[in-house]
Amino acid sequence: MDTIETVKQQGLSAIEQANDLDALNQVRITYLGKKGPVQDLMKIMKDLSAEEKPKFGAAVNDCKKALAAAIEAKQATLKDAALNVKLESEKIDLTLDGYHPHNGSVNPIQLIIEALEDCFVGLGYTIAEGPEVELDYWNFERANIPHDHPARDMQDTFFIDVNRLLRSHTTSIQMRVLDEYSADLPVKLLCPGKVYRRDSDATHSHQFTQCEGLVVGKNITLADLKGTLQFMVDAIFGKGRTIRFRPSYFPFTEPSVEVDMTCHNCNGKGCALCKGTGWIEILGSGMVHPHVFEMAGIDPNIYSGFAFGVGIERLAMLKYGINDIRDFYTNDLRFLEAFKRFN
Amino acid sequence: MKVSVKWLNSYVKVDDIDVHELADRITNAGIEVEGIEPLTVATSVVSGEVIECAPHPDSDHLHVCKVDVGSEVLDIVCGAPNCRKGIKVLVALVGAQLKDGTIKASTIRGCASNGMLCSLLELGIEKNMLPLGSKSDTGIEELPLDTVNGNAHILDDLGLVDWILDVSPTPNRADCNAMWNFAKEVGAILNRDVTIPWIDGYANQGGPTKLRIYSTTANCPHFLGKIVNHVQLGPSPKWMSEQLHAAGVKSINNVVDISNYVMLETGQPLHFYDLRTNPDQEITVVDDYQGPYTALDGITYDLVKGDLVITSGGKAAGIAGVMGGDNTKIENDTTSILIEAALFDHAAIRHTSNRLGLQTEAASRFAKGLDPLAQRKAMDRAVELLVKYANGSDMEATVEYGNDQYTPNVVVETMEHLNGLLGTHIALESAVDVLKRLDFDPKVDGTTITCTIPSYRSDDVKLAADIDEEVIRMIGYDDLTNTLPLCENSFGSLNASQKQRRMIRSYMTNHGLNEIISFTLVDDYGSTHGALPLGPRIAVASPLSEEHKYVRNSLMSSLLSTVAYNHAHFIKDVNLYEVSSVYGDHPLDQPLVYPMHYTDPNPWDQQERLGIVLSGLLETNPLVHHSLKTDYYVMKGLIEGLLEQLGYDGKRIKLVENTIDTDHFHPYQSVTIQLNGQTIGIFGRVHPAMEAHYDIQDIYYGEIDLDALVNGHPNGIKVKTINKYPSTSRDLSIVVKEDVKAADLCASAKSAGGKLVSSVNVFDVYTGQHVEKGYKSVSLSIVYESFDHTLKDDEINPIQDKIVDTLVCVYHAVQR
Repeated sequence: MDTIETVKQQGLSAIEQANDLDALNQVRITYLGKKGPVQDLMKIMKDLSAEEKPKFGAAVNDCKKALAAAIEAKQATLKDAALNVKLESEKIDLTLDGYHPHNGSVNPIQLIIEALEDCFVGLGYTIAEGPEVELDYWNFERANIPHDHPARDMQDTFFIDVNRLLRSHTTSIQMRVLDEYSADLPVKLLCPGKVYRRDSDATHSHQFTQCEGLVVGKNITLADLKGTLQFMVDAIFGKGRTIRFRPSYFPFTEPSVEVDMTCHNCNGKGCALCKGTGWIEILGSGMVHPHVFEMAGIDPNIYSGFAFGVGIERLAMLKYGINDIRDFYTNDLRFLEAFKRFN
Repeated sequence: MKVSVKWLNSYVKVDDIDVHELADRITNAGIEVEGIEPLTVATSVVSGEVIECAPHPDSDHLHVCKVDVGSEVLDIVCGAPNCRKGIKVLVALVGAQLKDGTIKASTIRGCASNGMLCSLLELGIEKNMLPLGSKSDTGIEELPLDTVNGNAHILDDLGLVDWILDVSPTPNRADCNAMWNFAKEVGAILNRDVTIPWIDGYANQGGPTKLRIYSTTANCPHFLGKIVNHVQLGPSPKWMSEQLHAAGVKSINNVVDISNYVMLETGQPLHFYDLRTNPDQEITVVDDYQGPYTALDGITYDLVKGDLVITSGGKAAGIAGVMGGDNTKIENDTTSILIEAALFDHAAIRHTSNRLGLQTEAASRFAKGLDPLAQRKAMDRAVELLVKYANGSDMEATVEYGNDQYTPNVVVETMEHLNGLLGTHIALESAVDVLKRLDFDPKVDGTTITCTIPSYRSDDVKLAADIDEEVIRMIGYDDLTNTLPLCENSFGSLNASQKQRRMIRSYMTNHGLNEIISFTLVDDYGSTHGALPLGPRIAVASPLSEEHKYVRNSLMSSLLSTVAYNHAHFIKDVNLYEVSSVYGDHPLDQPLVYPMHYTDPNPWDQQERLGIVLSGLLETNPLVHHSLKTDYYVMKGLIEGLLEQLGYDGKRIKLVENTIDTDHFHPYQSVTIQLNGQTIGIFGRVHPAMEAHYDIQDIYYGEIDLDALVNGHPNGIKVKTINKYPSTSRDLSIVVKEDVKAADLCASAKSAGGKLVSSVNVFDVYTGQHVEKGYKSVSLSIVYESFDHTLKDDEINPIQDKIVDTLVCVYHAVQR
């Protein structure tokens, strides 16, 4: 029995001293192999009496199990240690630059247009577009601006020839779609697009972007216009702004109003952006002029409608704090890359 | 228009309202007041007398004066050459505000100076507005010798204390450019009485006349003429010259001033002729006069057919509605004058004024439109003032050509329609109150209101909706509620083209490109050097500059010049795209027929395009050795990837060697994109000649017709069954001549391999060491696959051999 205990203690000690997996494997072969001390103990068994044999056999088995268990435990410890060494050897500088897939940017004008489109598509509007090279007829005549109307002075237009021009407002889209939908009312439309005027300085570009809205149906009111514009302002600038109407003039609407929004910079308290007034002019709008309806073959006694037109660059300048409208068209990458974010 | 508040106050009481509040109320009712300025900024200026004036001991031009300002005598040093003992002067006391600052007590070269003697310029009066006889342009202002010393209200007495409103009415409210009409508007806004000094019919008096007036053109439908004799030229009354001054008009003499004053009052431009220059006493307005003519400004203008011209005895006497003539003007010894109050067509006047570059006040007023009764009002008023202030007498009868063609507009509106359109609950009484204030003479029958519109509003108020606007603009929009339209629900959505644009935008952004929006108008080079130009360029008639003259028929020049801009600003990696329509000229065979319908063909072609430009690196990650230098293949992959996402895979799109445009693209590094046999795009390396124009290098450009993609029936999503049996891949390396195309090798291999070959791709191309010059090594990856069993080597081997045999046979390939 003492012999068994000695073998066991020697074995455990050898396991304890094994420093790596190879050494441990050697210990396993040495002690538990066919020529090892445990097998040798079994050889002793044949010389023992019948009573002693089972006892001795059980003790040898216990010894074998204990050594096997110790080897397994040691093996786990050594594996852990080896893994830790390996992991430590794989240490890297976490502060070096990551791999950046290069993100492009969406044009700020487009960001605003898409925001408006999403807002109005949600209200059931259709997005309508039209040509930028346009006929005088759709740009002016049908918008109730006949030849030599004084309002033509308000818009210095790029004429191409006597009939053709570069559209001076997206109202020309409205006039085309009004013609298209005259027998298919009600209609709700949003018309974004580029427009052109012979004008150029820090607040005017000869090309800029407008977005007009048009709703025609029965019982459409000026109050509906105000509610719709409040909805739009909430969508673009966030809730908490109020809007107000001021009388104005456009040949294609009657009544016509300018629309102001409480300054988003100072919440209406008055600041440099709103020139101390607390209000910022954002768009022009009104109720569709009866002459415009008549020219489209729509009876103004049955139908009414509202229209509004907003300058996209103006909204973008207000929303993103851009000072010079020409920045939109210089297309300097340092400007464009500011619009990589989703918001 | 510049409006003197003092002048306004002579018609309607406004001097008890703060001027800023007044301006706000006018603006809020729809007539924008753009500016509010005091006539003079000066404070603490009193009248005084120079009682002693000695030369400064230490200066050759300064005077040392004692100035009596009533309460005390001040020591003041003055440098004005006209400073002398006995004159009456304007004295700015210590602490006074003047145009250029505050007056302080000081010592000038040893002499005390407690104040300053002023010229009108120092009070903020413009040099061109100085009154006649003023000394202020060369020295200090000299006041009349009977001026009382120490008058603290001297500026007020001189008519220099006033507020000037800069009023900018919208085009429909040109009536507000006349003081009388503006006063009526302000009266309506404030709900106050307005007194207009129009004595209706005053000019009807007069004896027999020989004057005859004709017009041979429809552009002069009405002309009132009248001769007034024994007129005496002299200075204007003080109030008139002061009011003119406040309105920014320089006082000349009583007769000239009256014509200007009445124009400001009524809006009607008047013209006075010296009767001596019209011995025949005949006036004919023509529009077919041709030849040079010298106007009042001394400049000779070349008049052409279409210009309205006043003639007398066949000779020109004035450019009608624009400027009078040098040969007929009022002289200092004029005694008999012929008054013209006429209506000229606004378009004709605008045309002549623009053509001659002669933007006069009269022309501007005719162009904006007049009160139809303005000729009568102005004639009455002018005659009245000439009688009162120029001793006019011996009047002859008024001669009228044509008539004013005026009948008042009568407009009917119901409260139901009004509240229905506005979405309001305005009471009948409120609406009627507003309409009364506006002098619309409302007559009520139940809920129906019948309005008779005053003459000066007749261009603007014609329809029921016009009445609605008047009512709500005067009541104000503050109580308007927020509602949304109640109409049939509709399904809002984007159309196929709009959706495609969003897909492109998302794809391009994710692949590192920046979206630009650039100018539609390009220069001569840009309009003649583009990729797949849509058609002949369209030019605008009067461009702002040569850089922006033609409507672009391709996006190429816009994107290349944007790259050039950024490269010039040391930004080297410039990868951009733009989505925009381009246009080409396309005149119609038929003339346009009016009224038009939206389906009528347009006399131009239009196409939506995508332009892509790559230069430098698309990705920059040097630390991870992952930087992507742009080249033909990056462009190709980008475009093929996009087309695939838009529903056009390699089976539908063909890339064909570019032979159609080798002027703008590298002849050996560019292809056209074909869909259903049509060329819908082009891409590749930009031709060095074009790069040189923009001073840029190594540029890759592509342009695609997006309309063709929208209309080309793109494929939708298709899900394939996943193969249960594994595929096997075999590599094959061969050496072929350098000009053998990879796509041909793959196609031949696939076709030789038959149905078990699912794909053949090139994964390496090598030239250089170990490969003979003129040859290249190409490595193919061939994937074998069956959908009903796992392929075994003895099935694959014969196929692989067949592929090799084919490549050897067709391309003289040598297996490596």
